[in-house]
Amino acid sequence: MAASVRLMLRRAVRLSHGKINVAAADTAARSGRRLAPSTCRCFGDAAGDRITHFGFETVPEAEKAKKVYKVFENVARHYDTMNDAMSLGIHRLWKDALLHAMHPQPGAQLLDVAGGTGDIAFRFLEYVRSQQERQKRRAARSMQTPSWRDISSSDQYASEDEAGPRESGAVVCDINKEMLKVGKRRAESAGVVAGLSWVAGDAEELPFDDDQFDVYTVAFGIRNVTRIDQALKEALRVLKPGGRFMCLEFSKVTNPVLARLYDAYSFNVIPALGEVIAADWKSYQYLVESIRKFPDQEEFKLMIEDAGFFCVKYYNLTGGVVALHSGFKL
Amino acid sequence: MYRAVVCRLVTEAGRVPRGVNHGALALRLRSFSGVKDEQQPPFNRSLLRFLVCPLSKRPLRYEPETNELINEELGIAYPIIDGIPNMIPQEARLIEKDTDVSTTPAQG
Repeated sequence: MAASVRLMLRRAVRLSHGKINVAAADTAARSGRRLAPSTCRCFGDAAGDRITHFGFETVPEAEKAKKVYKVFENVARHYDTMNDAMSLGIHRLWKDALLHAMHPQPGAQLLDVAGGTGDIAFRFLEYVRSQQERQKRRAARSMQTPSWRDISSSDQYASEDEAGPRESGAVVCDINKEMLKVGKRRAESAGVVAGLSWVAGDAEELPFDDDQFDVYTVAFGIRNVTRIDQALKEALRVLKPGGRFMCLEFSKVTNPVLARLYDAYSFNVIPALGEVIAADWKSYQYLVESIRKFPDQEEFKLMIEDAGFFCVKYYNLTGGVVALHSGFKL
Repeated sequence: MYRAVVCRLVTEAGRVPRGVNHGALALRLRSFSGVKDEQQPPFNRSLLRFLVCPLSKRPLRYEPETNELINEELGIAYPIIDGIPNMIPQEARLIEKDTDVSTTPAQG
């Protein structure tokens, strides 16, 4: 019942708030090219009959979200362990690289979509905290021989105004409640509570107001979204002007020898690891197949540009196994 | 890294007795208050700053009694479970116009 209500509400909202769609059409026309997505997303008529891929399977779009939800519900408990096992710990370096490229300053607001267990959010808060400490140390060093004016306006005698308006925060948004629960538990056991929020939401329909965040990140999550273009448009909407979109995702390996090794590893070792550690071969089979169906670096760059981002660049990590895409909302 | 390991050990050791006390306290409070749900962690109101309804993008109202976020216009309520607001449209509850509590839960 709610499905039909939801469709009706959505249609009513889209009719009345047509400005978002108009803007999207404008950017699409401006970009001039419309590539046929190699991921065979849109078949059938506009009555909602479209099919898409779920790994190497073909499924109706409506089913994909449910299947993906099931996959992550199953893997949530062992997600972090599996990440370490599958990538031999290298995923930590990839996420660190994302943070270094981001270089957030104190006061920045982060939205981590498909953030699940919160890896990026934790690193963000840690980075910002160390930046703040570095700034304080630099300020202290430059005040070795303070004048009377400096002393009277210093932190000791004045109120702590600096910390107030420059509080940075991270919001972790994920469609899967199990993943969020695991993440929240990790946060509580690590004692990270201040500035961290958890929200269950759909990347294609974010529950956030326009122009809210300085940085939007999605790490290894966007290939699981049914309609990637919709998620990109939502990303554009919730970012402040000048905000940055950053996406870490598995991509095409450039070197053919490495590609052969990577394929062998992906299709043989990873599902086996999944069976041993998480007792779930099929979920990890899906994860590996979904990597192959995701567009490559250049194509994804074009998709991001189509959504309306500017200065879109990508950096290959580990020979192209992972690509970091970045774009700005201007 | 060492700090993380030590932290985990300390919290693991400290969790068991703390859990027992919390449970006992919750039981005592529940018998007195009856209405309040002690086990739900409090909802972080600062989230309301940027949370909106995903369907209409309008602001929401926090309802402490039912622990939900309500969109008056569309008449739907988003539940808050374990302090995490569930903003997925399929799982929102329709609020009946005449009565306060809806008897038809929404299903995905």
